[in-house]
Amino acid sequence: MSLDYAIRLTEMLMGFAFAQQCIEHFKSQASERNLFIVRLLLAIMLIIGFQTRWVAALLLLLGLAILRRFQGPYNGGADRMSLLILCCLCLVYIAPTQRWQEVAFGYLAFQLVLSYFISGWVKVVNKDWRNGHALRDVFLFSAYPASESLRQWSKSARLLLFMSWGVMLFELLFPISLFSSTSLGIALIIAAAFHFANACLFGLNRFFWIWIAAYPSILWFQQRIFITL
Amino acid sequence: MLHILKLLIPALIPSWNFFDIIAPSPRVQYALLESENETSHEWYEFRPRPAHLSFLQMLGHMLWNAKWNESMFVVSCAERLMEQPTQHSEDEIMQRIISDLVGASSKIQLNTATHLQFRLLVVERQGAALEQEVVFYSRIQPLPARDAV
Repeated sequence: MSLDYAIRLTEMLMGFAFAQQCIEHFKSQASERNLFIVRLLLAIMLIIGFQTRWVAALLLLLGLAILRRFQGPYNGGADRMSLLILCCLCLVYIAPTQRWQEVAFGYLAFQLVLSYFISGWVKVVNKDWRNGHALRDVFLFSAYPASESLRQWSKSARLLLFMSWGVMLFELLFPISLFSSTSLGIALIIAAAFHFANACLFGLNRFFWIWIAAYPSILWFQQRIFITL
Repeated sequence: MLHILKLLIPALIPSWNFFDIIAPSPRVQYALLESENETSHEWYEFRPRPAHLSFLQMLGHMLWNAKWNESMFVVSCAERLMEQPTQHSEDEIMQRIISDLVGASSKIQLNTATHLQFRLLVVERQGAALEQEVVFYSRIQPLPARDAV
């Protein structure tokens, strides 16, 4: 995958993710809605490829205005990943040489790998994650389960232990998938399925779309680093 | 500017420590009052989650999950209030409760209520049991006039 193609794909996927986020704010109060109407228009421009450099810069400024409006992220990690992708794209656009463009886009790929690996690491060093109690607590009393019936999962100790280790092993082993394009493809399919499950169980739909928007960076990165070596 | 930079830096150098510990979880409850001096005895849970979601509903939420994401923002504001109370967090929660109460989806009858208050509870596991404790009471806010909404 060429750098230009990966960047274009990132612009389109991020534009779609932003559009989805914006539409969810259309029933909010006017001051909030207006910010997201502007953002939706910019996201559409990004999808169709109209003046993407300027559009990304405006989206970044708008992102800062939204951060200020909500005094932090509205949707936690999904908003942070949105800003990270936007910043990396803006750096790519202003980079003086292709090497610096690669460094900026590679940083996004690096952070994507860390997003899985560190998530796995902070869990595996916690005894409650290793014995399944942490995931039990997520279902038992955290704010995340999307319905009351999902709270019943807290009683399935074996299932939760299996799920905990499945998630931790996947997250910790994710960097190893970079050694071949096939293993990376499989890992990204599993990762997308993981985000899909989180969206279904915990309502974290925005994470699904925005994490997928970062995947072209790692597909490019894998080919750039491991095939040219 | 410095404040915006402080908000931006966690996006540029993220910690990625999702679900590292399962912290005590906040719940928002509100009370409808008939005067600003009334003490409430009846608290309603703000946006109780549905009893069940079908797979089709979950699929639909992949594209449209506005209420839930707003509820998650309310949880964030509640966590911020518990850590370091700010007017902004209190206002955001208050405004979204009022919006629900006067909106078409409200199942609560406002009747003679003229004021609103919310409180925050934290739920946590102590051994095998779940315990909850009230940690914050908001100001008492006049409700907007009925014909103004």
